[in-house]
Amino acid sequence: MSEEVVLSGGEEHIASAISEEVVITFEDVNKWYGEFHVLKDINLSVRKGERIVICGPSGSGKSTLIRCINRLEPHQDGHIVVNGVNLDANVKNIDAIRSDVGMVFQSFNLFPHLTVVENCTLAPMWVKKMPLAEAEQIAMKYLERVKIPEQAQKYPGQLSGGQQQRVAIARSLCMNPSIMLFDEPTSALDPEMISEVLDVMVELAETGMTMLCVTHEMAFAKKVADRVIFMDFGEIVEENAPDEFFGNAKVDRTQLFLSQILAH
Amino acid sequence: MASVESQSGDVIVFTPKASKPPPPTTVGVLGWLRENLFYSWFSAIVTFAALYLIFITFAALYQWGIADAVWEAESRRQCLDASPHGACWAGIIVWFNGIIYGRFPLDEQWRVDLGFILLVLWLAPFWFPRLTGKIGIGITAVVFYPFLAGYLFAGGERGWFMQTMVLLAVTVFITNWLHIVVSMVTGRSLREWVVGVTGFADKHERLHKYPMLGFQGIVLIGVYLWLGNWSVSEVNTNLWGGLFLTLLISVLAIVTALPGGVALALARRSHMPVIRVSAIAFIELFRSVPLITVLFMAVTMMPLFLPPDFQLNKLVQAIIGVCLFAAAYMAEVVRGGLQAVPNGQYEAAKAMGLTYWKSMNLIILPQALKLMIPNIVSNFLGLVKDTTLVSIIGLYDMLLMLKAAGQNPIWIGLHTEPLVFGAIVYFILCFAMSQYSQALERKLKTTR
Amino acid sequence: MAAVIERGARDSRSTFAKIVNDERNRSIFWQVIVFGLIGYVCWYLFTNTAANLEARGMSSGFDFLGTNAGFDIAWSIIPYEPQDTFGRVYLVGLTNTLAVSLLAIVLTTILGFIIGVLRLSHNWLISTMAAWYVEIFRNTPLLLQIIFWYTAVFSVLPRPKQSIDIGGIGLFELNNRGLYFPEPQPGDLFWITMLAIFVAIATVYFLAVWAKRRQLTTGERFPVFWTSLGILFGLPIVVFLVTGSPLAWSIPELKGFNFQGGTSLPPSFLALFFALVIYHSSYIAENVRAGILSVSHGQTEASYSLGLKPGWTLRLIIIPQALRAIMPPLISTWMTVVKNSSLAVAIGFPDLVSVFMQTSINIGGHAIEIVAMVMLFYSSVSLIISAALNYYNTRVQLKER
Repeated sequence: MSEEVVLSGGEEHIASAISEEVVITFEDVNKWYGEFHVLKDINLSVRKGERIVICGPSGSGKSTLIRCINRLEPHQDGHIVVNGVNLDANVKNIDAIRSDVGMVFQSFNLFPHLTVVENCTLAPMWVKKMPLAEAEQIAMKYLERVKIPEQAQKYPGQLSGGQQQRVAIARSLCMNPSIMLFDEPTSALDPEMISEVLDVMVELAETGMTMLCVTHEMAFAKKVADRVIFMDFGEIVEENAPDEFFGNAKVDRTQLFLSQILAH
Repeated sequence: MASVESQSGDVIVFTPKASKPPPPTTVGVLGWLRENLFYSWFSAIVTFAALYLIFITFAALYQWGIADAVWEAESRRQCLDASPHGACWAGIIVWFNGIIYGRFPLDEQWRVDLGFILLVLWLAPFWFPRLTGKIGIGITAVVFYPFLAGYLFAGGERGWFMQTMVLLAVTVFITNWLHIVVSMVTGRSLREWVVGVTGFADKHERLHKYPMLGFQGIVLIGVYLWLGNWSVSEVNTNLWGGLFLTLLISVLAIVTALPGGVALALARRSHMPVIRVSAIAFIELFRSVPLITVLFMAVTMMPLFLPPDFQLNKLVQAIIGVCLFAAAYMAEVVRGGLQAVPNGQYEAAKAMGLTYWKSMNLIILPQALKLMIPNIVSNFLGLVKDTTLVSIIGLYDMLLMLKAAGQNPIWIGLHTEPLVFGAIVYFILCFAMSQYSQALERKLKTTR
Repeated sequence: MAAVIERGARDSRSTFAKIVNDERNRSIFWQVIVFGLIGYVCWYLFTNTAANLEARGMSSGFDFLGTNAGFDIAWSIIPYEPQDTFGRVYLVGLTNTLAVSLLAIVLTTILGFIIGVLRLSHNWLISTMAAWYVEIFRNTPLLLQIIFWYTAVFSVLPRPKQSIDIGGIGLFELNNRGLYFPEPQPGDLFWITMLAIFVAIATVYFLAVWAKRRQLTTGERFPVFWTSLGILFGLPIVVFLVTGSPLAWSIPELKGFNFQGGTSLPPSFLALFFALVIYHSSYIAENVRAGILSVSHGQTEASYSLGLKPGWTLRLIIIPQALRAIMPPLISTWMTVVKNSSLAVAIGFPDLVSVFMQTSINIGGHAIEIVAMVMLFYSSVSLIISAALNYYNTRVQLKER
């Protein structure tokens, strides 16, 4: 935000690859933290291949929204359907959804006691019962895609923040997910490392991955998003295609937010 | 989206929806119960099992300790006749004085109380906000209080040294409190106030110490006239005991361990091999052996180490043992505190051209000391518990007084009640201190 | 600048000042002073001791270890008779200390882990109870607890005739003389069962290695835990039965006023053991709790979001990381258990301090030699344990930038 992030490969919007199939549905979802009403009557549907950027001030419920999709946070009211599976307390459903939905965190959350390649092979071996050789082959494929195959034998603590976040993306991709969630993936990074992570995310978008991304990187949103969602006070205030959203916001609250963000 | 009505071109005003109350089963008492006690059928079973366990424990304790207990009796026989399965608190009531003061003569026990009150008053300023010179007050407590308290407890004739130290202690105590009062009233330190009153304020800075010295001299003369001939009767250390002795030994140990620990820790960090190795040897030896072996060593070997015409009594031997032991442990606490001071501070002190001792005294130690306070408190807590070991070598600390109750012919066999009572006293002391130490630690974490 | 030059000139004029102000010379000077002081104190103590010993007509040296001790020891792991030597007494005390410490260490670690995990229970009642367990036992002196177990529990038990029959099967009898339980008496062919136990352990080990390798190559998992359990118990039991159950039990039986047969642990052992286990488990529980909490919640979330089940998350992500934080304080608690077992002296359990430092000094003197030998034992244990700790720390240290 504070500095202009330059994405490699120009600024024009990459081609959309949206199919008709709906993969995520929110239906009147409400969620409370204790007495605090954090998500209010959320309705949202995401189609396969769609790329959504969610923005909004802190505390607006945007992180909670995407954390509900793999049930890191349970919701108390309404329905969330992911890949045709209704999310409730059923443990089997949750396991199935989680192995099909990848997630990247603000604070990377790499496993510090495992090497980079072990971070990547752990879940395929335990969840998908993959042999080590195959898992390592896949891990190396994705580490190459995020451009750090040479770091495979190091421990996370030995890598820079940007490198760690790229490993985290590779780790999620190793499970071959159909949906990827990004929870402020660049907020904890030094400015010079932000673009290396965003570049990886742009390349991922070019493969047609369904992506939900909480971020304030507007260059990224303009280039990648099919839809931008603005949230505040636990509700979706405005949603629109990026051109429309950035050029011609309809709601006063959105305009204010954009002016604050772009003023920096 | 519901709140947004699209009207082409115009700006839509966003008004957040009102928050709805959460589903009633997730909040309030009901929500709390569901969340914390009955979130699954298994947890419900566990909760009921736990409740049952708590109930039978407390019911049994209530039955024994209160419902069936005997509060008034003259001997254990009477207790047993009155209620064979209840607690005999009558014995504790009779022994209470002994548990607190040991065998200290009844008429002289006010001296123990006074000594304790003086300690509290001496240390109270530490909890006063915005008071200057706290470190000075702390140092006077370490240097002078032990002599004043020592004379109060032991009594008897005062030699010239003891006379000097007692009078100085009282003088310092009075000036400390004058300083506190003056600071509270005028917001200036006692020294500045004296300088101002005597008209030295416009004189050279170097001369400012004279009015203060004169002031202290006057107080000292006053104290001499007041207490010069004051004396209290002698109480043999054999008679010291109970909680009094427990606290005496632990306070003395922690007070001597502080300077000892600082010295050992600095020595351990020294670049001079002889000094470093000696410190490591001392610290590691005392930390690797049990306290009881140190105490046995003190009582069996100290008589051999000292010249035949200079022998110490058992209390002094034990105290020396506990102090050496405590110093070794304190050294590690100090070392931890010194390591916690950021390296930049050491470098800044060096860059300012301060010598080793000046940078330690002015920059490093004050910061380290602040970081160490929680650990010092928990170290003291450990000492209070460890002091029970002196009962093994026959000193009548609280534990031995508690045991003695059950060996007294009138109360013979009264074992459980004194131990339970002692456990409660120790628990209250130690729990309060550990909570205090944890609170300090949290405060340090948030202020840093 | 001028001032600096002038000062430099002044210094060069006086070689004495140069020598005095040289950092290295100062360091040597202070070291000589300290060395001299320590030397003087040692010399002072030594001459005093020598004079005292001579005045009292006492000998010194370690010859006394070969002389007859002449007193009995109530309970010992290794055989001991009153006519044995002081050297034997040292060994008896040492083995007794190690026996009670090792047993207590095993139990207190297990109990501490259980309490520590309960402390983190989602159930408020359970976590609160665990918290009070920790606070109560940590904040009362261990010695008081030992004496409590001894005088208020194990000494007021009924006489042998009214023994408490634990389990109601007539095998474990608890009374004011201690705990009586059956003693195994192996027959001629029992070695085959022992062999089977070793074979079972080896099999389980190789099974684990094989299962791991199989998972690496094919991805298939093998139920190692349950199979191992089956092998560990099944194989020895089958072999034992096939060889004709070659193990007799000497069962404690009430004859007159006391039990005959079987073997027993005295009340002092039980009191010391219980107190050590309970007291130190409260410390271990705190370590375990802190260790588990030190693994950030993000690790759990990351693991869940990869599809790893809670059980696997615990085993693969949480425990390996928590152990790094738990092990160092755990190992030093073990050291504390060994040291605190010396409180046995208060209730007359014959540990090293009790039989050697107390009884032997009272009977045979030689305080200096005995104190040195006892301290040597504890220091060696401490050295071994801290060496183990250092080894562990260097092995598991996380690699950082």
